[in-house]
Amino acid sequence: MPKLTVNGKEVEVPAGTNLIEAARAAGVEVPHYCYHPSLSIAGQCRLCMVDIEKTPRPTIACNTTAADGMVVNTETDRVRETRKSIMEFHLINHPLDCPVCDQAGECWLQIYYMKHGLYDPRMKDEKVHKPKAVPLGPHVILDAERCILCSRCVRFCDEITHTGELGIFERGDHSEIGLFPGRELDNKYSANVVDICPVGALTDRDFRFQVRVWYLDTAKSICPGCARGCNIEVHVNRRRPHHAEGRRVARLKPRFNAEVNKWWLCDAGRYGFGFADAADRLLAPTHKEGGSSTDVTWEQGIAAVAGALRRLRPEQIGVIASPKMANEDLFALRRLLDPRGIGQVAGQVPPRVPGDEDNFLILADKNPNSRGAELLGFGADARTVIDAAGARRLKFLWIFGHDLLAGALPERDVLEAFRVVDTVVFTGSNANWTSAHAHWVLPAATWVEREGTYTNVEGRVQRFRTAIQPLGQALAEWEIVGRVMTVLGESLSATRAEQLFRQLTEAVPAFAGLSYQLLGDAGQPLAGAAAARP
Amino acid sequence: MAEIVLMRNFSNAESHTLAAYRAGSGYAAWDKARTMEPAAITEEVKKANLRGLGGAGFPTGAKWSFIPKNHTGPVYLVVNADEGEPGTFKDRYLLERDPHALIEGMLIAARAIRSAKGFVYIRGEYVQPWRRFSGAVKEAYDTGLLGQGFDVVVHRGAGAYICGEETGLLSSLEGKKGWPKIKPPFPAIKGAFGQPTIVNNVETLCCVPPIVARGAEWFAGLGTKTQGGTRMYSVSGRVKKPAVYEAPVSITLRQLIEMAGGVSGTGRLKAVVPGGGSAAILTADEIDVTMDVDGLKNVGSMIGSAGVIVMDDSVSIPEALMVLARFYAHESCGQCTPCRESTGWIYKMVHRIVEGRGHKDDLDTILDVAKRGAGTTICAFYDGAVGPYISYIEKFRGEFEALIPHA
Amino acid sequence: MSRAQSAPAQTIAFSEAQVAEVRRLQSLYPDPRGALLPVLHMAQETFGHISLEVEDYVATLFELSPAHVHEVVTFYTLYFCEQPGRHIVAVCHNLSCHLAGAPKIIAHLKQKLGIEPGETTEDGRVTFLTVECLCACEAAPMAQVDDRYELNLTPEKIDRLLGELR
Repeated sequence: MPKLTVNGKEVEVPAGTNLIEAARAAGVEVPHYCYHPSLSIAGQCRLCMVDIEKTPRPTIACNTTAADGMVVNTETDRVRETRKSIMEFHLINHPLDCPVCDQAGECWLQIYYMKHGLYDPRMKDEKVHKPKAVPLGPHVILDAERCILCSRCVRFCDEITHTGELGIFERGDHSEIGLFPGRELDNKYSANVVDICPVGALTDRDFRFQVRVWYLDTAKSICPGCARGCNIEVHVNRRRPHHAEGRRVARLKPRFNAEVNKWWLCDAGRYGFGFADAADRLLAPTHKEGGSSTDVTWEQGIAAVAGALRRLRPEQIGVIASPKMANEDLFALRRLLDPRGIGQVAGQVPPRVPGDEDNFLILADKNPNSRGAELLGFGADARTVIDAAGARRLKFLWIFGHDLLAGALPERDVLEAFRVVDTVVFTGSNANWTSAHAHWVLPAATWVEREGTYTNVEGRVQRFRTAIQPLGQALAEWEIVGRVMTVLGESLSATRAEQLFRQLTEAVPAFAGLSYQLLGDAGQPLAGAAAARP
Repeated sequence: MAEIVLMRNFSNAESHTLAAYRAGSGYAAWDKARTMEPAAITEEVKKANLRGLGGAGFPTGAKWSFIPKNHTGPVYLVVNADEGEPGTFKDRYLLERDPHALIEGMLIAARAIRSAKGFVYIRGEYVQPWRRFSGAVKEAYDTGLLGQGFDVVVHRGAGAYICGEETGLLSSLEGKKGWPKIKPPFPAIKGAFGQPTIVNNVETLCCVPPIVARGAEWFAGLGTKTQGGTRMYSVSGRVKKPAVYEAPVSITLRQLIEMAGGVSGTGRLKAVVPGGGSAAILTADEIDVTMDVDGLKNVGSMIGSAGVIVMDDSVSIPEALMVLARFYAHESCGQCTPCRESTGWIYKMVHRIVEGRGHKDDLDTILDVAKRGAGTTICAFYDGAVGPYISYIEKFRGEFEALIPHA
Repeated sequence: MSRAQSAPAQTIAFSEAQVAEVRRLQSLYPDPRGALLPVLHMAQETFGHISLEVEDYVATLFELSPAHVHEVVTFYTLYFCEQPGRHIVAVCHNLSCHLAGAPKIIAHLKQKLGIEPGETTEDGRVTFLTVECLCACEAAPMAQVDDRYELNLTPEKIDRLLGELR
């Protein structure tokens, strides 16, 4: 492994490491645009110049492999002057769009300009004009004037999605990023180009003009869109509620995880947060009697559930949990149901139309915690419970999250079940047919409004964290279960999700040895999963 | 009278035919080279002090020896016939009048570098030269000169000066935009289609048969201490007899201008571009320089492609710079930021100055921007632009200032 | 060599013999993509210019995304994205030609043709261009007219030349 010196600090790196990564290992950030660790080397921006002893001129760091004994200096006067020059070159034709550009606040021209720039622009001629505000596809919009032609987006479409939609046309300062005329940027990962675009050339159509990035707070989380469990950040707007039409969750961004999604996030996951602020959020417990629904207190709602559990025999109770629930929620349910011997439980409602999948990140299973549900005993198909209901064996049915009419269960059977079961309780975050026809609705908080863990398809347990407060009176599912237990004279012995998780790791062998601390930001595989990994 | 080597067949009207070539020196050098070890051929070319004649002036033998010895895959010989440097037209003559000399040079070079495949990249505008050369290639195939261990593919460009840059040419040959490749790796290690490749200029390869036939010592002796042989100087501009002239590389610029009949126009010399548009301009009292690689390097210019453009004192230097600045802005490939953005901007500034709308800071801005960009780009195109940007303004500053109001 | 007329949009395809030629050209290169520039020349000669339909079609022959073919076509000056005139008069305006009077030749052509450089005459006869160094500086000022170089131009020569272009 070559050992080299960067700014006086010695560091050892794997063979083949380029100098940007080697400097990073030494704690030094080399400014750059076109370099991206997942993409081929372009060497186009010329910003990552560094001084290497015995080399007559500054050299680009991205294309230089660390060699044993190399002495690299990233802060010589010469390198600093070169950076200033390169910044000037980048700004010659760049439009002064900051006041109207979404990238402001997270723009790498702004950031490097302030840190390394010339400050006195001397370009007084007419700048080159190119197309502005050009939608490239459903999610991405292009401003060709702002583009610094780093080619990251072109390389992404070639090397990551292999769809090749983007190109750089013409030449000289008339060079322009674009699509083949008449085509769209419509691959399933299109919005990743917004993340990797260092400037405001490629921006998010959904986020356009919504809220300034410096008003956003961020929470580390996991996308619940499928069983992949891509790591994300949830960006929320708490400080300017009058912006973005009151939308609290402003956008999702991928978070790097070398073992799961690397730098990427699919479009479906990226834009799948709308339901958190949608108008159909369930905000208060309700009770339906006759034809109408009235708001009730949590006490009343909990009492209804506890009452049923107290007076009915265990075989008269059915529970359809959901693989969208967190490990903590499912474990809490187990704590409630097991001592009572309630066995008519299920978790899976297969979709009517199989979900799409590809050989990259997208999985057909559109649930974030199928593995967890399975390991916690909720892996069965809901049809067993519906059949029991239809056979008039059940008097109480608690459904978590599912819209039973939207899945593959025969409509007739579901309607029959609802007709004959005395008490149907729905717990979920958004209204659907099932919630509309349940006797009791106990509103659940969405995944952005609480914390917990999911177990992804490969058995990696990952934390998702609270980004915003629950809307209305919604509660996390485990909290709802805990309240039922309290009324029944039992205790969950947990006031935080972490405590529940600790109990889970002690009770369920597959989760042994894990803790929130160990999970950290990148998650941990289940013991068996780790052993199975080659 | 200096010996004519490269242009020896030009006077014959049928010189482009195999019959005419055989009537002259024919493929005798190739016959001799076939008895030589590849390394011996390279050694001979090294001893001859042959320097690249396309622009960079790199020692040809040294370049050939960069091919990795233990490489087991294909090695490619690529001929740069994308002549495009302003003021240069020698390769056009060679392609049209002596295509077999190039083929013979290719055969010998291919043997030296152990290549079985050659590509000849001819600029798209050179239709007649392309037809002539393709005809010669066909003749060579028909008579078994080609196709017996060495194949040649003739490839037409499509209009881009940057395809005359070695790796820009390779990108274009690969069916892409003519974007030069980031180096390292260098073409001899990883070139066309990812394989070790030697790119040589047309004229450089035409020197090879004479070197092999008549010996390195003879060739070296024709020139200077550091560069052997003769070369074809393209002389144009304000001279009485613009044409291509062959002379030993030790010739001085003054002698060359005399060969071309002396200064036309007003008859009074003002400036000379000695090595194609990208060379730093020389003033009238700088013409006693030898027209070889080191001679011009030592006076801060370059011999480049040996395109000599003569200017009498009726020529406006600012206008000349504007014409070249427009050229560089048009031909910048756009790949890297310093060149892409500043060639356009500098043209705008020079254009404004010529039109009488210059600002008093413009000249210093142009000089500073050019100096800051030099050496920072992927290829030497920008450095070629910097040659005129800086030398025209520094050596004729007064003329520029005279056009700027309140300068 | 006269210029092919623009082909109707629905019929963009090479003949069987032409496709065989494309495959032959592709086989000459270690990577078939190397044949892209020659095939685009072929396409231009066949269809008159390289429209988006032609780019799309050529892209299928090379298994390239159309965007990457469009990159190549827009990069090089000899590929025309719109149908040019039946003849192309490309006058060099680089240094030696400038010194030899190219501006006068260009002005003369503007006046005679009634169009600016970059434009085509109304009757579709001539596309007038100004171009960079064609490397015939010894015969400046000069122009490329279709496939040939016309050297040592004078206004009279231009007039004669234009007269011969139908």
